[in-house]
Amino acid sequence: MIKNYFKIAWRSLKTNRLFSVINIFGLSIGLATTLLLFLFILHERSFDTMYGHKDKIFRVLLHTTEEGIETWGQVPSALGPELTEHIPNAVKSGRILQNGYGGNAFIKVRDKVLTERLLFWVDPSILEMFDVKMLSGIGAEALNKPNNILLSESTAKRYFGSENPLGKTLSVDNRNTFEVKGVFEDFPDNSSLNFNAVVPFMMRQEAKHPSWGNASFETFVMLNSDKPNLGAIENKLQSIIDANMDKEQQWYTFSLQPLKEIHLNSSAYSDSYLENYGDIRQIKNLTALAIIILIIACINYMNLITARSQKKAKDVGVNKTLGASSKQLILRFYVETGLITAIAMLLGGFFSILILPSFNKIVNRTLEVSSLFSLEILSFLVLTWLVTTLISGSYPALYLSRFSPKEALKPSSNKGIMTSFIRKGLVVVQFSASVVLIVAVLVVRQQLEYIQNKNLGFNPENVIAISTTAIPDFATNEALVNAFERRPNVSLVAMAQGFPTASVSLNSIYKPNSDVGMSVNTNLAQHNIVDILQLKLLAGQRLPELKQNGDSLVEVLINKTALDFLGYTPEEAIGKKVDAQLGNNSYICGVVDDFNFTSLHKPIGAYVFHNTARKGNYNYLLVRFKNGVLMETVSEFENTFKDIAPNSAFEYSFIDKNLEFFYQKEKQMANVSLLFSVLAVIVACLGLFALAAFMAEQRQKEIGVRKVFGASVPKIVQLLSLDFMKLILISFVISFPLAFYIMNNWLQDFAYHINIRWSVFAIASTLSLIITFFTVGYQAIKAAVANPIKSLRTE
Amino acid sequence: MKNTLLSINEATRTVNSGSNKVTLLDTINFNVEEGEFISLMGPSGSGKSTLLNCIGMLDNFTDGGYTFLGEPVHSMKEKNRSKLYKEYIGFVFQAYHLIDELTVYENIETPLLYKNIKSSERKAMVADMLDRFNIVGKKDLFPIQLSGGQQQLVGIARALIGQPKLILADEPTGNLNSKQSEEIMELFAQLNKEGVIIIQATHSESNAAYGSRIINLLDGKIV
Repeated sequence: MIKNYFKIAWRSLKTNRLFSVINIFGLSIGLATTLLLFLFILHERSFDTMYGHKDKIFRVLLHTTEEGIETWGQVPSALGPELTEHIPNAVKSGRILQNGYGGNAFIKVRDKVLTERLLFWVDPSILEMFDVKMLSGIGAEALNKPNNILLSESTAKRYFGSENPLGKTLSVDNRNTFEVKGVFEDFPDNSSLNFNAVVPFMMRQEAKHPSWGNASFETFVMLNSDKPNLGAIENKLQSIIDANMDKEQQWYTFSLQPLKEIHLNSSAYSDSYLENYGDIRQIKNLTALAIIILIIACINYMNLITARSQKKAKDVGVNKTLGASSKQLILRFYVETGLITAIAMLLGGFFSILILPSFNKIVNRTLEVSSLFSLEILSFLVLTWLVTTLISGSYPALYLSRFSPKEALKPSSNKGIMTSFIRKGLVVVQFSASVVLIVAVLVVRQQLEYIQNKNLGFNPENVIAISTTAIPDFATNEALVNAFERRPNVSLVAMAQGFPTASVSLNSIYKPNSDVGMSVNTNLAQHNIVDILQLKLLAGQRLPELKQNGDSLVEVLINKTALDFLGYTPEEAIGKKVDAQLGNNSYICGVVDDFNFTSLHKPIGAYVFHNTARKGNYNYLLVRFKNGVLMETVSEFENTFKDIAPNSAFEYSFIDKNLEFFYQKEKQMANVSLLFSVLAVIVACLGLFALAAFMAEQRQKEIGVRKVFGASVPKIVQLLSLDFMKLILISFVISFPLAFYIMNNWLQDFAYHINIRWSVFAIASTLSLIITFFTVGYQAIKAAVANPIKSLRTE
Repeated sequence: MKNTLLSINEATRTVNSGSNKVTLLDTINFNVEEGEFISLMGPSGSGKSTLLNCIGMLDNFTDGGYTFLGEPVHSMKEKNRSKLYKEYIGFVFQAYHLIDELTVYENIETPLLYKNIKSSERKAMVADMLDRFNIVGKKDLFPIQLSGGQQQLVGIARALIGQPKLILADEPTGNLNSKQSEEIMELFAQLNKEGVIIIQATHSESNAAYGSRIINLLDGKIV
């Protein structure tokens, strides 16, 4: 019996080639995208699940309310050791610190200078918690002694080639020399933690003299149970703070974050050394997108079935008079749908393999084809196949099979009205979804364009930032400045602790004679910084050009936000004493207008430049250069740099390039939404095309009669197209508010964003009307020019 | 002494069309005996098809009694009713209603599938039927490849394969030319001789002449 159903299904596929192809193609595109997105989601969810103690490891989070509510992934160095001491459930705890508080390390191996992004100062317990597997040499115990270093397998290869790295020495930042004691297996792709090189945390000043101030240490704790009483532990954490700080001084609280939540639930937290955070919202968006596309594809299928319901109904009638029961017919329709979805599934799998490389590029991951054959994916496929079959097959199986034979065989009855109503409803749903996607693509694009063209309050172009962290002595730094100033291609040079897009120190600034504070970014910088960034000076002076070593006077150049917080007018502020934790002797020397020193996701905060006498906190040489060929400029600068500091790696970035990194996620989202929207619209169009063909076929007789009575071809085309246009108009009514709501929500993520303009909707509607006209129009014209004699001859 | 196959007593069929109650069949009384070949005649809209549908249990009388092989159809549940017609009744349609996706062989086989008859038995029965109707050579063709007369032949073969007692044929030759009509009617007469009871609805006097009895309908009444 089932065999017979398959036979019918297969032959019906073959006879209705156009519709079968459209059906299967549409479904397979839907399934391919769903498959890819599921693969991506699976990968994101798999983060940190490979660790044996995954359920017992937690990261300590720091919550501060200084300015708004902020959560950091890093805590003071004093907390780590206290955890195991004061919390009975804590078995192990450990701290990690990226070299240079999140910068690169400069590694010298013999006479080779390399840049290492992932060098970490680490407590030995970290390696134990995360079961770091040693391939050779010793592991965690190496971190109990100074000047030992552990390398990952690939890093050891990079440094030493095929030689045995054990016992070899290398130097870091021209300061410390280390001996390689062990090689560990590379961290997997889906690990939040990723070290290339590990050095003992105990060597750091912060380990010898732990403080409760500087919160720069990512701290992990392992508990003895995977279902701890987090509330009790947080109370303990509070009592640790209480024991070490006066109530008035406390500017933070702690909490624990389970390891398995780190990857997806940390995108809102600042200050972390962990890279490749995912975003749970992105996952949710993509899931929604996948479901929408799949639904569109299923709707297509149902649409085509309803369009053929005349024939299907006749089949039901005939089979029932021949003795088929409703149950048998339900099964038959499901077999038919199941066969189609199975074919679409195979094709979809094939498509997804084809698209995978470009998909990887878009989502910035390295998903592999082989992972498509995992048990999860296969069971997902089976599940999707079942769900798709059940949804798509529901109309013929559950609705048509109920007809009594007499009803089903009657040439015209009200089942036609019912199905055409359903069909129209489905088209509306499908087009609404497409329009929402088109609007989304447009809004995302406009917002990105806005970001790229927004006046940031400074000029990020033609500024190169050269890292000088590996050059500790001030004399060499000065020599660098002088050397660069002499280059003809250079207009201005300054040393600075940081620059817009790179982090600086975070302090608090206080209102005069009050303890009301606000967090402030403080940047130790030289005179020229204002002109290099092309900031607008509102009042007062730049930082003075020269400053005597040991001079305790600190000049502070504040931005407008800081000024407004202090409550001065720009002119008033000049010469006023200011407390920004920069020493007692700090005075405002000038005011600059606000500039976006970080991403446009965040509103502008307080920012000051200062010239505290402490030397050596300059991390960068900022150089504004004249226009020229970029490659040549860079190699010219590298030579200048090497002349002065031959032992340091030339590490640089351009501020305008750095800015682009801020919006990578949005770019990614723009690309993903563009790709899938195009696919969704294609699928929807395929459906519409087939549907129009069916409608034209069904109305053949009517068209014939109308032509015989004098209707012109354009009139007929209009008649056929108008029906669809009406549906499209209804879908506008549904989709516009929906799209507005969704995209407006998305825009709220940006402190600086566009307003959604009506033109977006105008473009989306024009686009979909044009698409509709072309898909439907073809069929309409074909039907309209047909000879009426032919269409009237039948029956 | 002939046995009664079915008897209809005071049977009425009405439908609601808007607020009006329209009577399609009005107090119908008649019996069908074993061996009969009945022709229902009457103009369009006189109720021939409705009566056939009701007899075939695809439709129900709204009033009155209907007994089939001694069983009261009018008080039966849907399920038992369909069991009854599957067992004893074969249908032949004016528009043949063959299944487009199935070959001649498979079309004839279909009712057997629904009766859960074993494969070997099915093969034998279908082969018999093909033989008897002289369409062995066409068994692998699809309906669309056949002429109207041939399609109707397959339709009749399909109706007969379940070995029904009664064949209901609604204008079986309505779409055929006169030569094809004649052949189909000859076939019915032949089947009737072999013991199959036939009720056909027809417009054609000559077709009706093949029957053993003619019932004339007008406006839902037997006249």
